[in-house]
Amino acid sequence: MIKSWRLKDIVLMSVLGVVFGFIYLGFFGVGKVLVAILTPFGFGPIGYELIYGIWFIVSIIAAYIIRKPGVAFTAETIAAITEVLVGSTSGPTLILSGMVQGLGAEIAFALTKWKNYQPRILVFSGVSAAFISFPYHFFVSGFHAYESWLIMTMFVIRLLSGAIIAGYLGKMLADQLAKTGVLNGYPIGKEVIARHEKSSTNF
Amino acid sequence: MIHSLNPTMKAITVILPAILLSFSFDIITPAIMFIYILILTFFFSKLNIKKWLFYFIPMSFFALGLAWMTMLYTDDKYATGPIVFSFFSFDIRMGSIIVSMSLALRSLCFIGLSLLFAFTTDPTKFMLSLMQQVRLSPKLTYGILAGYRFVPTFKHELDLLKKAHRIRGLGRAKGWRNRVEHMRQYFIPLLAGAIRKAERVAIAMESKGFTGSKDRTYYTVMKIKATDYLFIIIMLIILIIAYYVSYRLGTLNIFGHRIMP
Repeated sequence: MIKSWRLKDIVLMSVLGVVFGFIYLGFFGVGKVLVAILTPFGFGPIGYELIYGIWFIVSIIAAYIIRKPGVAFTAETIAAITEVLVGSTSGPTLILSGMVQGLGAEIAFALTKWKNYQPRILVFSGVSAAFISFPYHFFVSGFHAYESWLIMTMFVIRLLSGAIIAGYLGKMLADQLAKTGVLNGYPIGKEVIARHEKSSTNF
Repeated sequence: MIHSLNPTMKAITVILPAILLSFSFDIITPAIMFIYILILTFFFSKLNIKKWLFYFIPMSFFALGLAWMTMLYTDDKYATGPIVFSFFSFDIRMGSIIVSMSLALRSLCFIGLSLLFAFTTDPTKFMLSLMQQVRLSPKLTYGILAGYRFVPTFKHELDLLKKAHRIRGLGRAKGWRNRVEHMRQYFIPLLAGAIRKAERVAIAMESKGFTGSKDRTYYTVMKIKATDYLFIIIMLIILIIAYYVSYRLGTLNIFGHRIMP
């Protein structure tokens, strides 16, 4: 896996991982605000489920740009390591949950043998990350003690959040980055250039 | 002292009890662990208590929120015993209070362990230790450290961008909505700049002979010492004691199954 990566792939993964690690940390604050709003009604932790997709986004962005096996997993893990290094209060266990989420996102790409990076696969990747990460949190956070309808609601909200925030927003951000031209040395940039040439020959 | 422990071993010592504690749904087990974590924090590490409280207090509110929700929506398996009080349409039973306090204490343990790790570990040393002890690929380690290096420059870059925008007549953000809009305007250029620099660093590293092979020497050598093993063993012993005391008192509860002596 690592052999197929060029050093510039790794450094790009790292930059994305570090930047989104900070964004992830910031979204804990957003989550806290949502929790504070929802807590009086007893729906506290659902606040986190609403925005849960943000915590998978770097997997989709990095995989969509670099298009190699293991990228989704590694970028997510780097983001988690960054959160811990910068001082997340969830500590090293966060690395573990980052790895679980990255694995979830990676599964979608693995199913297409890392060949297909169409929008629906990106959205599916967000969903699979949500799908895989939920049982992990079920176990670690003791969701076991909640009533089953609440668990189901949390699960469905997380799947939707994964599809919309991680899949859709992730693709939008990567496309915007590709437009600037800095990704021309990566598969996504080559796709943009090819599309551009095609449309210009039509004229 | 906890500062001088090997970062990888410290991470393992912090993760292990966090996972093993997930099995317990009673009050005694996490309470004993939490007391031990506080002792470690206050007596065996040289961290700034004020700074510690600054992080700990807001996070403990999250633990309380979690406890509150668990108390209102307890699974039937745990909602046993007499009704203690009613809140709107919710009847709160003794079992619900116990399980919610258990989850709150567990969260406090996680928070305590995390802060202990974050406040006593140097990020670069943690990466170097991951490379030397866990055999993380040097290509990955130095790649990550190189990416991490651009973070401190972000603030400077942002200032530059803001000034450049203002010179060209884009005003300062007023109001909440505008500020979000501005963040969108800055985010892509900031990221694009970082990616450009990262690519240059990668090329520079390779041109100076960095191959990323594991067969290399290290400037900073990270070692595992006897005290590292001692730390992890004591942590596990305290965890076993915590479970045992709870078992002896007849309060031990694993995934909703009461285990009596």
